[in-house]
Amino acid sequence: MIAGAWVCLLSPLAGAVAITVAGGRISRSTAAWISVLTTFVAFAGALVAFFGLWAADPADREQVSTAYTWLASGDIEVQLQILLDTLSSTLMLIVSGVGGLIVWYSMGYMKGDEQERRYFAYMSLFVFSMLMLVEAGNFLLMLVGWGLVGLASYLLIGFWHHKPEAVAAAKKAFVMNAIGDATFALALVLLIWATGTVEFGDVFDQVDSLSSTTVNLVALGLLGGALAKSAQIPLHTWLPDAMEGPTPVSALIHAATMVTAGVYLLVRASPIFEAAPDVQHLAAILGAITLLVAGVIALVQWDIKRVIAYSTMSQIGYMFLGAGVGAYGYAIFHLMTHAFFKALLFMTAGLVIHHLEGEQDIRKMGGLKSVMPRTHVAFAVGGLALMGIPIFSGFWSKDGIVSAAFSSGDALGYTLAAAGLVGALLTGLYTTRLYFAVWRGAQSDLVKEHAHEGHGEGPRSMTIPVGVLTVLATIGGLVVIPGVWEPFLHWIDETAEPLVQATVAEDYALSAVAVLLALLGFFLARHAFEKGRQFVTNPGIWRVLERKLYFDEAYDALFYRPAAALSVALRRNVEEPVVERSLDEIGSGAIQVGGEVGRVQSGLLRTYAIAVAFAVSVLIIVFVAVR
Amino acid sequence: MGNVLVWLVWFVAAAACLGTGMAVVTMTNPFFSALALIGNLASLAVLFLLLSAEFLAAAQVLVYAGAVMVMFLFVVAYLGGRADAPWAGGHRLVRGAAVVAAAALLTEIVVVLGLAWGDNLTDPAEISDSFGDPAQIGQAFLTDHLLAFEITSIVLLVAAVGGVVLGTTPEKEEETA
Amino acid sequence: MDGPDVGWYLIVAAILFGIGALGVMLRRSPLIVLLSLEIMLNAANLTLVAFARQQGNLDGQIFALAVMAVAAAEVAIGLGLIVAMARRRVPLDVDQASALRG
Repeated sequence: MIAGAWVCLLSPLAGAVAITVAGGRISRSTAAWISVLTTFVAFAGALVAFFGLWAADPADREQVSTAYTWLASGDIEVQLQILLDTLSSTLMLIVSGVGGLIVWYSMGYMKGDEQERRYFAYMSLFVFSMLMLVEAGNFLLMLVGWGLVGLASYLLIGFWHHKPEAVAAAKKAFVMNAIGDATFALALVLLIWATGTVEFGDVFDQVDSLSSTTVNLVALGLLGGALAKSAQIPLHTWLPDAMEGPTPVSALIHAATMVTAGVYLLVRASPIFEAAPDVQHLAAILGAITLLVAGVIALVQWDIKRVIAYSTMSQIGYMFLGAGVGAYGYAIFHLMTHAFFKALLFMTAGLVIHHLEGEQDIRKMGGLKSVMPRTHVAFAVGGLALMGIPIFSGFWSKDGIVSAAFSSGDALGYTLAAAGLVGALLTGLYTTRLYFAVWRGAQSDLVKEHAHEGHGEGPRSMTIPVGVLTVLATIGGLVVIPGVWEPFLHWIDETAEPLVQATVAEDYALSAVAVLLALLGFFLARHAFEKGRQFVTNPGIWRVLERKLYFDEAYDALFYRPAAALSVALRRNVEEPVVERSLDEIGSGAIQVGGEVGRVQSGLLRTYAIAVAFAVSVLIIVFVAVR
Repeated sequence: MGNVLVWLVWFVAAAACLGTGMAVVTMTNPFFSALALIGNLASLAVLFLLLSAEFLAAAQVLVYAGAVMVMFLFVVAYLGGRADAPWAGGHRLVRGAAVVAAAALLTEIVVVLGLAWGDNLTDPAEISDSFGDPAQIGQAFLTDHLLAFEITSIVLLVAAVGGVVLGTTPEKEEETA
Repeated sequence: MDGPDVGWYLIVAAILFGIGALGVMLRRSPLIVLLSLEIMLNAANLTLVAFARQQGNLDGQIFALAVMAVAAAEVAIGLGLIVAMARRRVPLDVDQASALRG
């Protein structure tokens, strides 16, 4: 059982190393196959681990396996250990399963690219890093995985490094994630100082004995890391730009897995957050704000990938909301269903982009339904799941979060629930808008150009994963039917007990409201489409939304410009005159001293003789004294 | 009576030694300096005799006064006017330093001698009449100190070769230059 | 022993050494410098012989003999140098012969 977990972790690493070491000696498709196969091997390992855990006694469902003592310094000991419990096994399945499908998909998508080997090495590296993050048995190893996924994300966003926009986007993502990494690390430092350990179990046992300031600071630091990694407000500006990377990368990293790492952290470290309830509520509030803001911005975006990206941001807001009110099971459930339908949406978008040879502007699309019928079905399924229409997967998970927020009772809970419901309306609006713009209506000129390519909608390596995900997006939510059958929630509850439990009545009532709102959104959007109108007509508001609420400009003015000015000033006033000149001075000083000393060598016999005489006289004194 | 004679001879020889030494160093005409050195060597030979080093005294006169000084005088004659050696200055500091150094050395030696006099410098050892004989010197040189003997001979050989090399004419070098 | 103690000879030798040192350090003609050098060597010889007498050991005299031989060789070379300098029209001034300056 635990061996399965180790195989799961190390298989993608082996793949990445193999591809890197083999370099140009293997063909591009061999590299792709290595990556795909190692990821599926990881999935097999995850299955073994999962079933082993399922078959085991509930008391045994927390297994820690240590490889060796990684760090021993004073009283602190950090082991290289993995933790296999219900939470991590679930995440392992999601990461390796969806990851495997996406890597398979990218075999077809990236075919023909010169740098395919590099791409697949990076993808395997990413899968390994994410699994490391999820399987880590202590905070420090989790931080290692955290940083590595950031690295992999940077490498993959900037994959087409001849595109300056891609390079800039990669840097932006990395720097913003670095802010999160810093707060995470600071929280860790505080934790080590206060508890003397980084192991999950030991830390959680000691949480109650810590002072409230310490716990709050630690929770705040962890939240900062989660915000950056999951692209929530205020550290969200990097996610839309990250769409510069290849579409499978967007699917895997920026929808299904990496951006959900923040949610995982919130659930994993729930004992800490429960001891710092204000921070937990802050997480929920920020999730709600992001949910709404991202949904609104998605209404005015023209790039198909960016709409889906803002949708991701919004849905992760739901997950933060869920984790913030203590509905951990539902948060993870939504994570899973979101992985299914969001990856599906990205992959179908990728099929469209591929078919239209790189076009991503939805204004240039339209009427694709007849050209790509099967892709249309897949996209529609993904959209329905996203909107939360029963019986698709999103319905079961999203509404669970809203009802959990509602049942937590106080003003905050009701506000959050209301935000969730408004979010459902917004989701319906933007999803429908996207659907109609791409698939319905008259065929645009571009679509007509590509309409007669009879080679099908894509190679099998791309269509089969899409098909699998379509099925999962349809039935994947059926593991939780409130009041009837809740195995998934019980499974997660074993690791993270929820703080709130909605009644079945509340659940279904709010679900009905949410579905109605989503359908309202659908009809409104269809109406607007048929009238050829957009939702936001006021040019002022349009501009604000289009500029993404001016967050980028604000950050530029607040942070970038002062830092740049400071560094220029330092260069001019400190580095050049002091540091560089002092180096020059040392050099010329040495030359000068050398010159002075050289004057002793006068070449004159008499001075030498006199020097000898003096030396001898001194020596005589020394000898006499010593005797 | 013999004692007084010895003291007298010693005194005269020592005075001559020091006096001619001063003359060598102070005279401007190199010819006179060389002549003064001959006098110095001769008085030294007398002092050697007083110290029972008869062979050495003879060697001193033969080698030094006889050969070395003759060489000097030859060179002085060859150089003629160019050998004139006026007192010229050099920096005042250099001259001062030279005097100080020499004085320091002298003072130190005298002090050391004074310190050691009582223990080491009274009661010289008893010697036989043949102390300092050529036979004894030869015996010692060729048995106990054979290595020194051989090395000295090599040094002389090297000097001879060096002298020949130094004597190559400059004209040939000017032709090839 | 009749006459002065060995120590007096040593005093004479010391003063002679000082005179020679002064000559080496103060005169500018290489010829005179060489002569002063001879005086210093002779002073050393006197010291050696005096100690030989003091200890009743002939080693001092042997040493002095060797010194004499080496001094003779050295004078030969030195004079050769001076003659070579003169032949090449190099001024016979110790202060001007600074070609080996660093």
